[in-house]
Amino acid sequence: MTTVQVRYIVNDVDAAIEFYTRHLGFTEVMHPSPNFAMLNRGDLRLVLSQPGGQTVGGGSALVDGRVPQPGGWNRFAVEVPDLPDKVAQLRAAGVTLRSDIIPGVGGNQVLVEDPSGNPIELFQPLRSEARLSS
Amino acid sequence: MPADPLDALRLPTVPIEPRSEFADGLLRQMQSVDAPPRRTTPTIRYFVTDLDEAVQFYQQQLGFELELQPNPVFAMLYRGDLRLLLSVPGAHQGGHTLSDGSVPAPGGWNRILIQVENLDATLEALHRAGVHFLDEQPSGVTVRQVLLADPSGNPIELFEPARGYHERTR
Repeated sequence: MTTVQVRYIVNDVDAAIEFYTRHLGFTEVMHPSPNFAMLNRGDLRLVLSQPGGQTVGGGSALVDGRVPQPGGWNRFAVEVPDLPDKVAQLRAAGVTLRSDIIPGVGGNQVLVEDPSGNPIELFQPLRSEARLSS
Repeated sequence: MPADPLDALRLPTVPIEPRSEFADGLLRQMQSVDAPPRRTTPTIRYFVTDLDEAVQFYQQQLGFELELQPNPVFAMLYRGDLRLLLSVPGAHQGGHTLSDGSVPAPGGWNRILIQVENLDATLEALHRAGVHFLDEQPSGVTVRQVLLADPSGNPIELFEPARGYHERTR
């Protein structure tokens, strides 16, 4: 059973589904309404919500009137076996990269943006204990 | 050596070729860099301004366990299968400042979702603990959900399944 869920706010759910399934290995679980979709990747579930319009659900405005927006810096991480290769693939496909490859302690990473500008961290571990998968 | 009497009952072994579509599909899956690994640890990174305060918050209010806190700007916590990385942004190593100088910040709207058994009881406990809510009136379609904030203002969504909630099992 998928137990970990993350919600991303997106401006265009269809464009987001296309992005996450084509470039990052997600599969669509459901897309029951134009402003909501649920995707899975391994044990991670990503729910996509489009802001505005509705009064309930993940994209709805707060009681104080604030409307959710895409963006920010908080993100989920996706492990890739070959970061330079993946970066080259994404660049060729016209995907926006927010950063270059950043060397880190446990591994190297790069920040990719979905069509709404939400960050996704691509991560290639350099130490076995930093691996996200087994 | 006498023949095994059971041989008369055994079906003959007929070699078959695997369907080529099946074999091709399997090969593609194995070779694809996009294919998710068999077992992954879903990992989320949140930026926080005060690491100790954040670690304490996630441990005490939301049931996370501290896995490691090797330096003053990074901690790793677990809650079930979820791995939460907390980073203090800045110019220091591990501060995630980009080469163009942009510095990450807490906040935004993207968030982790945590399923709870009894939302009302959880809310009451969090209220007593003085936790800040972004939206505390439960709403939702097939869940009842609220949005709270960690001490740095990062959103966390709590939800309790309601009528019509769908969970795919495997």
